Amino acid sequence: MSQFSKKLIVCLIVLPALVLGAPTTAEAEIIGTLSALQAAQREHDLETVSAALAGDEVRRQLAGWGVEPERVEARVAALTDEELRAMAERIDSMPAGAGVIEVLGIVFLVLLILELVGAIDIFKRFP
Amino acid sequence: MTAPPTATGRSSSRPLARPLAAAVLLAAAVCVAGCASTRPRLAELVELSAGRRPARVELTSVPFFPQVEYQCGPAALATVLSTEERPVTPAELVPQVYLPGRRGSLQPELVAATRSHQRLPYLVAPTLDDAIAQLAARRPVLVLQNLGWKIRPRWHFAVLVGYDSTAETVILRSGTEERRVMKARRFDATWARAERWGLVALPPGELPADPDPDRYLSGAAGLEAVGRTAAARSAYLRAREEWPGSPWPWLGLANLSHAEEDLDRARDAYLEALARDPENVAARHNLAETLEARGCVEEARREIERARAAARGTPLESRVEATAQRISRLPALEELGAEDDPRRPPLPGRAPGGDCGNAE
Repeated sequence: MSQFSKKLIVCLIVLPALVLGAPTTAEAEIIGTLSALQAAQREHDLETVSAALAGDEVRRQLAGWGVEPERVEARVAALTDEELRAMAERIDSMPAGAGVIEVLGIVFLVLLILELVGAIDIFKRFP
Repeated sequence: MTAPPTATGRSSSRPLARPLAAAVLLAAAVCVAGCASTRPRLAELVELSAGRRPARVELTSVPFFPQVEYQCGPAALATVLSTEERPVTPAELVPQVYLPGRRGSLQPELVAATRSHQRLPYLVAPTLDDAIAQLAARRPVLVLQNLGWKIRPRWHFAVLVGYDSTAETVILRSGTEERRVMKARRFDATWARAERWGLVALPPGELPADPDPDRYLSGAAGLEAVGRTAAARSAYLRAREEWPGSPWPWLGLANLSHAEEDLDRARDAYLEALARDPENVAARHNLAETLEARGCVEEARREIERARAAARGTPLESRVEATAQRISRLPALEELGAEDDPRRPPLPGRAPGGDCGNAE
């Protein structure tokens, strides 16, 4: 989903709520400690994207990246609302820690080539 | 994130590639050295701690799980979650944190899996100093490194398990290497390119070295948010002991009591939080909710008005406003004709005789 269409969906959901006033929940709900802390630590409004919407987006992303369907729900449930929002908004640009195997190979190759052509002379330093 | 693996190998067949590669390497080396030269050396960090940090630390009992394929996330996480009593293997973490399509793992999911194992994910301050402090307190640190360049990143998770201030090196469990020794400056450069993200998996009720209240309490509140109640409670209790003047541990404990429908205990704890910070919006709001649930509508109204005033201009304003409107629409207890009113069944924990006491 593009950034624009994401924003469009958010607007479609948020706008009626703004016009009609805050939805009145039948059930009383307290403010969780995490939301309270984050509200105190930051200035921006926390409710830019609803947690439910963010959850749906992350569910879609995880499934799309090959997470087994029966594992998706548990993985979403393990994340806080704020983490879900962060992932829904930036999952494509988030660093995915992968590993060194490949990297070491490339570095070694480069060093080996440089050594062979005589540009550097480092390998004799190692026993 | 994952590029075709042998870009360099291919380019070496072109005549210009060799000098180009050498130039790039040289430029990178100059940049790494240049950027790192202003940072404090390990020896200074140890010296400044005035004897609290040994010159050399190595956590030899931290297990090693060699990474398979691209799964450094599960391997690094298993390294910090395993204990002698309860070993955790990378294989069991793969379904929790590995993303096959990305050939890697994401930070939020490592944090989430840490919570799923009843540990508090404590993010270290983005400084070598704080990482060293954790190691000196015998806590391994899971770190994200960028082993590539900023424009062409190579993300990697590893675990810091030691340092040697005389040799200016750090020791890592990394990839397929059980004991990777790296120059501290070189490590710091790779770490800095990943915004110096580092995580300590704290057993509940334990504090990190030089604990930061905001980061510790955020970790505890994360446990609460995903329903890891027992671990959250231990963490709040420990935080209350460490920072007796802070309202947040009390707010956390109150919220846990509220979730268990122990409304009397919740109310008392909200009042404790407010005694430490009368302007704490969440504590005031939740106190109003609790009083309302106990049938103390008048008291709830008074508290929600105070919450409203305190919330003005904060991110919680709309949230408090919604509750204020809901409570203002409730009929007062007198108007209801006490307990037997059919419109309002008694709520769990509701005081039978209207024992509303004096909130404050």
